[in-house]
Amino acid sequence: MNDTADTYVDASGRKVVEGIARVVALEGRTAWLEPEQTSACGGCKSAGVCGATGSTASRLLARRFPLDNTAGLTVGERIVVGTYEGTLLQASLIAYALPLLIMIGAAVTAQALTGSDGASAAGAIGGLAVGVGLARLGAGRLTARGELTPRFLRRAFNEGPGQDCHLD
Amino acid sequence: MQELILLMVGAVLVNNMILARFLGLCSFMGVTTRIDTAVGMGMATTFVITVSAAGNWVIEYALLIPYHLEYLRTVTFILVVAAAVQFTEMSVRKISPPLFKMLGIYLPLITTNCAVLGASLLNVEGKYGFLTSFLFAFASAFGWSLVMVIFAGLRERIALNNVPVLMAGPPIGFVTAGLLALAFMGFSGISTN
Repeated sequence: MNDTADTYVDASGRKVVEGIARVVALEGRTAWLEPEQTSACGGCKSAGVCGATGSTASRLLARRFPLDNTAGLTVGERIVVGTYEGTLLQASLIAYALPLLIMIGAAVTAQALTGSDGASAAGAIGGLAVGVGLARLGAGRLTARGELTPRFLRRAFNEGPGQDCHLD
Repeated sequence: MQELILLMVGAVLVNNMILARFLGLCSFMGVTTRIDTAVGMGMATTFVITVSAAGNWVIEYALLIPYHLEYLRTVTFILVVAAAVQFTEMSVRKISPPLFKMLGIYLPLITTNCAVLGASLLNVEGKYGFLTSFLFAFASAFGWSLVMVIFAGLRERIALNNVPVLMAGPPIGFVTAGLLALAFMGFSGISTN
């Protein structure tokens, strides 16, 4: 029941968005994965080694994530992982919208109370600090529910069409 | 207050960053193949544009103007934008490492996004106060994100249709972008009376 090329509905009725990751290390029952680059240069065959966004190696290293190796994965294998469709929106709301809205609210309140630009700027900084604190709480709850961790879906074919990136 | 609201509505719909000012077009074509990536990129960019506009306003009025260093404006603003992106990256990583793994992909793209610098330069041009600059930048960024999401929705629909081979990919994307720009031109006829 495909909706688009890289989205499907799982047994619980929630839409799952797929992405490609490569197994880079194995530690006991844990496989470490690196997501393949899916950015503005997505869609090309060299997405996995693209250097258009600067120090790609360090960025990929920073974005490595662990996965329970229940499927007998080996180093170098490319697999399809998935997250629920609403998760990215939820994560974006918590990480960006929440601090930003609190920052705006604090700046507007400070300006209304004092009428000074300096106070408004100070209010914005204070609001940002509070917002980041609240975002941390919200993200902690999402992480505890396991919503932010990608799940293993299936193995990817190395040269098959549509398996290099999932943007087109 | 009414002026502020009109300025914000104008920044979102009439003087839209993408469709009227042609800023941030690289991401507009590159990150709009799926709605969720467009939303992620849109929110990250909105955050960075607003934060860097606030930082740039402070730098402009506390440093550049008092010390007659206006000729350093562009270089300074670029530095502030890069710092804002780094701050965002660090804070998202601190907030939650899994969240960073999910959203971190969009951040490097924002550093080179001309819409971020453009919003701050427009603020200087308009000689706005702090709050007006701040809200104008937020509204501009919101308009940018809105168009990104609308365009991503259209491209997802197009992907389900049989587009002639000659027009598939970027060509049909550019045609769609043109039609969207025409639709947004309709907002320039809004009467403020």
